[in-house]
Amino acid sequence: MLRLTGIVKRFPGVVALDRVDLEIRAGVVHALTGENGSGKSTLARIASGALGPDAGRIEVDGVERRIATPKEALDLGIVTISQELTLAPTLTVAENVFLGRLPRTRFRTVDWPRLLADTTEILDSLGVRVDPRRPVSELSVELQQEIEIARAVSSRSRLLILDEATSSLSEAATSRLLEVVEQERAKGVAVLMISHRMPELYRAASIASVLRDGHLVADVPLPQTPETELVRLMVGRELGDYYRKRAIDPGETVLEVRDLASLDGQLLPTSLSVRRGEIVGVAGLVGSGKAELGLALGGAIPSVGTAQVLGRDVDLSQPRTALAGGIGFVPDDRKRAALLPTRSVAENFSVAWTNQLTRAGIVDTRTERQRVREAIERYGVVTASASSRITTLSGGNQQKVVLGRVFARDLDVLVLSEPTRGIDVGAKSEIYRLMQEFAAQGAGIVIISSELPELLGIADRILVFFRGQVRGEFTTGGLEEEEVAHVAVSGTRLESAA
Amino acid sequence: MTNDHGGTVTPTDSATVPTEVVAEAPRAAKISPLRRLSLGRYTGVLVALLAVCVYLSLTQDVFLTWDNFMNIAKSNSVIFVLAIGATFVIISAGIDLSTVSAATASGMILGLTLQAGWSIVLVLLATVFFGLFLGLLNGMMITKLKISFLVVTLGTLSIYQSFALVVHDGQTISLFGKPGFNVLGNFVNHDIGPFPILLVFDLILLLVAGGVLRYTGFGRALFAVGSNPEAARLNGINVGKIILFTYGIAGLTAGIASVVQVGRLTSAAPQADPTLLLTVLAAVLIGGTAYTGGEGGVLGTLVGVLFLGVVQNGLTLSSVSSFWQGTVSGVILISAVGLGVLRDRGFTLRTRRMARSPSALAEPPSPIEPGAPS
Ligand SMILES: Nc1ncnc2c1ncn2[C@@H]1O[C@H](COP(=O)(O)OP(=O)(O)OP(=O)(O)O)[C@@H](O)[C@H]1O
Ligand SMILES: [Mg+2]
Repeated sequence: MLRLTGIVKRFPGVVALDRVDLEIRAGVVHALTGENGSGKSTLARIASGALGPDAGRIEVDGVERRIATPKEALDLGIVTISQELTLAPTLTVAENVFLGRLPRTRFRTVDWPRLLADTTEILDSLGVRVDPRRPVSELSVELQQEIEIARAVSSRSRLLILDEATSSLSEAATSRLLEVVEQERAKGVAVLMISHRMPELYRAASIASVLRDGHLVADVPLPQTPETELVRLMVGRELGDYYRKRAIDPGETVLEVRDLASLDGQLLPTSLSVRRGEIVGVAGLVGSGKAELGLALGGAIPSVGTAQVLGRDVDLSQPRTALAGGIGFVPDDRKRAALLPTRSVAENFSVAWTNQLTRAGIVDTRTERQRVREAIERYGVVTASASSRITTLSGGNQQKVVLGRVFARDLDVLVLSEPTRGIDVGAKSEIYRLMQEFAAQGAGIVIISSELPELLGIADRILVFFRGQVRGEFTTGGLEEEEVAHVAVSGTRLESAA
Repeated sequence: MTNDHGGTVTPTDSATVPTEVVAEAPRAAKISPLRRLSLGRYTGVLVALLAVCVYLSLTQDVFLTWDNFMNIAKSNSVIFVLAIGATFVIISAGIDLSTVSAATASGMILGLTLQAGWSIVLVLLATVFFGLFLGLLNGMMITKLKISFLVVTLGTLSIYQSFALVVHDGQTISLFGKPGFNVLGNFVNHDIGPFPILLVFDLILLLVAGGVLRYTGFGRALFAVGSNPEAARLNGINVGKIILFTYGIAGLTAGIASVVQVGRLTSAAPQADPTLLLTVLAAVLIGGTAYTGGEGGVLGTLVGVLFLGVVQNGLTLSSVSSFWQGTVSGVILISAVGLGVLRDRGFTLRTRRMARSPSALAEPPSPIEPGAPS
């Protein structure tokens, strides 16, 4: 359906794509994989008219085309769901789903009854329950992503591009999306799917193209190609055991939380303790209160209850008091709550270090430069330079900056919400290693994640949230995914349910 | 869209980067040192400023004289001082509409206290602190009462102006010959060597403001707050305090500007030139500080003030009716900021323009150094 030949794209200081060839056929789900910054999104943006290539040929159905704008791509039936949300926040769900093609009455006014009915139908088919009249800004990131998906599948597409569309979805929602993708494929739609989650690719795709450093390194059939081989192609080396289990030797209690509850009622009074060297996983569905646990611990939302770090009370009323008490927090919504979009990579690191870097109000820029240089190296951030704007980095590399700046603060407790969202396999194992190193040095880590395999692999203990409370606690040795999932879905343990 | 110039430069490259540097750069190569030297968001305006200067020196004999330049510097000092404060506010993603009113009100305080026979040191302190107080008042209402900066400063725009009228019943206070005024008069009129004291003062102010933005914890925090307040808060920045300080700085510059203004006029007038506020804000925006917050700097503001000042000077010299000056400043504002918006709008537009005309390269690049003292 779409054929790209010899595509070249340069950014200042970076060759993002170097003579890449890609052919996407109708009725085929085509996976595009590669490390963070390997050029996947850039290729997707070229195919969808958001970017122009510096060289190369684009053919649609055998005819050479210039896809100069997203509108032209849409007219050709090329629809994209991207990593970054592109909804109009103040408009309603229904208006967003039908943005640009609202149904009209005879008088050219918007046909609201029809709009609402059509939206409800699409949302139902996706299994999303949300009032189509609500403004999008009131919805969680996950729901917003689902609206984005609803918009894409409801437009008559011939090529559907999913650029990490699942990265902010729960497993259930991902599963529904993959079903929709399969339906579309069966109808003859071509699908280009970009994801860092291997299981999805293996489930949905029949061919994978692997990019590395802007080069196309291979096209391999799926699911015949083993995962280790695919990963080797992506990162260019053998990746050892992903989660490298270590012998844990938890020390004294580093974090003690008693009856912490968020004022919005999402998190009911919850107590937990974390010991030095321990990594505690927090699982649960969207809306189970697990996200609010992180926000409350980070001082980001109003809460009641007490928290102590090494026996000292921590004031959770503000992020800065939580930080001063020794609790570092990384939020899950990178774009809204973590990035300084107009600033450089360097400043996005050092914003978290301002206190440590300032003497009598003056920033020690030499130390700053040095620390930024070290951090870029240590966390493997791919960037043209430390002074490049953070928004010129690929999504995964932005995440590395966001994590790295908090890691580098030497805090006693780290609370990480969805820390590996959108991060490639190589970087993931790197981040797990850093977390373990951190724990080994005596920190306590709380990791909140929607990815069960990740929690089973990295955490020593898992707490499962259901309707605002911890309903199950597991140690991970020999633990099965089903046991955790069961509590998350039903609030009861597998044995007692049986 | 196939493009047959294989080596076409990508859009963010400015004219300062030779095409080859980028075309042959290896992946993740170091940014060329030339790029680091380039002057940031306001390069385009700077080029335009130079072009206007060249044109004026060719057509107007008087333009290229030391006296004329010093005249431009002096007559734009009030605008410059106010624009420095406005730069801080605009970086915080806010705006201070009350700044000229605050300067007028502070000027009346200066006039009244001097008339009352206070010593000049006390007069200056009172004036500057009064400006600071008015700024902090704005800041308190914005941060503590959580009223939008637009509403607060629109309100105080009128309150401070009205205060200036009320305190002396709308009368101008003439300070000519008043004891203590000669200190002020010297400050605005005398020279150190070939340079007016005022120019030296402006340059010191520029260095201090640039240093605060670039090298202090406050400056860093200010950029962070303007860029993304939620991210700033989560990284431990006291957002309310930063905003409060920012409006305090705007008030402080209003106080200082009032000293310059009163000194130049030898009187404290209860009413200001109605176009002053627009000129101040225009200068900041022309200088590349984004009204969306989180980027910009005072060096750009200097360029913006100079640009407007030189154009006005040129119009006066060419004896164009002063009625046209507003039109010219407006056109400059829209085109300068418009160019910036075009540049920020992503690559598509530019890539296409680029593909058609390789000459469209002379656009300002994105800011290079973090928090450059621009
Ligand atoms: N607007 C831009 N300006 C400069 N460089 C850019 C820009 N957009 C992308 N790049 C660079 O191009 C390269 C490829 O980025 P891209 O976003 O395509 O990566 P990706 O494969 O999608 O990564 P991820 O998995 O992290 O999303 C990166 O090195 C990135 O820094
Ligand atoms: Mg990407």
